[in-house]
Amino acid sequence: MHISSSDFAAGVIGFLILRRHFILILLSALSCLNLAVAEETQYQLGMGYELNDAFTVGGYFSTEYGSGKEINFFGVDDLAFLVYGENDANFSYFFELEWSELYKIDYENNEEEQHTRPFIERLYGDYKYSDYLSVRFGKQITPIGYWNLQPINVLRETTSNPILSRRMFPKFLTGIDIYGYTPIDENLTYHLYLQGTKDLDNERINIDADRHVGLSLEKDFQNGWKLGTSLGNFREVNKDKTRYFQFNARFDQYRYSFITESNFSRKDPDIGKVERIVDIYVQTEYRFRPKHTLIGRVEYFHNDELGLKERIGVLAYGYRIRYPISLKIEYQLHADSNDNQLLTSFSVLF
Amino acid sequence: MRWLIGVFLVWYVQFAFAGEFVVVVSSSSKVGLLDSNKVRDLFLKKRSFSGKQKLIPVNLLGDNEIRAEFERSVLRMRREEINHLWIKDHFLGISPPVTQASLASIRLFVERVDGAIGYLPKDMVNDNLKIVHEF
Repeated sequence: MHISSSDFAAGVIGFLILRRHFILILLSALSCLNLAVAEETQYQLGMGYELNDAFTVGGYFSTEYGSGKEINFFGVDDLAFLVYGENDANFSYFFELEWSELYKIDYENNEEEQHTRPFIERLYGDYKYSDYLSVRFGKQITPIGYWNLQPINVLRETTSNPILSRRMFPKFLTGIDIYGYTPIDENLTYHLYLQGTKDLDNERINIDADRHVGLSLEKDFQNGWKLGTSLGNFREVNKDKTRYFQFNARFDQYRYSFITESNFSRKDPDIGKVERIVDIYVQTEYRFRPKHTLIGRVEYFHNDELGLKERIGVLAYGYRIRYPISLKIEYQLHADSNDNQLLTSFSVLF
Repeated sequence: MRWLIGVFLVWYVQFAFAGEFVVVVSSSSKVGLLDSNKVRDLFLKKRSFSGKQKLIPVNLLGDNEIRAEFERSVLRMRREEINHLWIKDHFLGISPPVTQASLASIRLFVERVDGAIGYLPKDMVNDNLKIVHEF
């Protein structure tokens, strides 16, 4: 583990420099805690403030500190506000405004970064015709796999994300998703999703696509096991085209979880050779006490044309003071040991 | 000895309350009998309909015995797990079911609100209600 005393000192100094921000954040968190003491009131920590069925407001934030041979930073990674609700009929809406990488101090290069412009993370409506047929229209999370559907720090068990969730497909879709249960199997759900325009707000997205079509299926075996698959293709604004196939499985018990996702892609760049990309990760979680979790994850990524091959192991520990308040620490082991790093984070859903 | 008493109490609760509680809708509703999985999905808001009828699940506020039995028998989850689910669902724009402070107010809510579905002790069911599931 490469954390020198100077790195640690830099972290402490950075923390002190940012203490005013921290005090504000912690005060916000504590005020949330105080408001959340009574159960099932209008405000509950992690469930937002519900004025009525048509209006609930909430949000989340996360901070991160990372240290390794080539990195050493502290940052306020995410700050977001959510507003959603439904009417008595079959319509509901959702809006999420986010500040991503709001503040970052890079001790390695002695630089500070601020991104104060918020962007629209999600903005969509749902019309539910029945359990078998619903339509979601607008900017939304692409319904692929497990990680992509709960991507925020506080809801996941590790500070870092697998490569699969960042590089293999567009995390967001600006278009429509037709979804529901299938009439042939009450435990099989489907999503048929389509995009035919540019992203509603392409400020902070992983892949800038203007065409995307795909189908996801998931079977819930009602015994803790779920299996799913996705098949689709997308075109980037620069005209590169990618086809992908994904397979996911998970098993959840009170104390244990097992999650695996694998994605196989073929990218046809507008200029250059075809790239075949493979990514697979396996993660296990063990909740050895109600608030404490140990996590292990291994991931393999390979892009044959670009000669990129990454193998990453993650060992992590998570402590949840309450479920929506998460403290995490992890150590990443990379095939190239120069990339090994320590990551910690503090995140709250409010 | 304590664990033996604990085992006995669990056994007693399971048998003593079996079939004592029911899930009900308004007697004018077209909703028919529902199996345990369907009721579970409705109260966890994974489903919202029976046919084309949109349903509104109503939960009992607090730590009442009947709510605990409903969570154990029908939802098959601990309260802690249920709360974690609602926290995850908050990020997806899904709120927990509406709550009522007493069984009497659940009965009134189900009688009066179109599409409402709730749970009650069997002996509280009247002519304005229809049983769709027993537990």
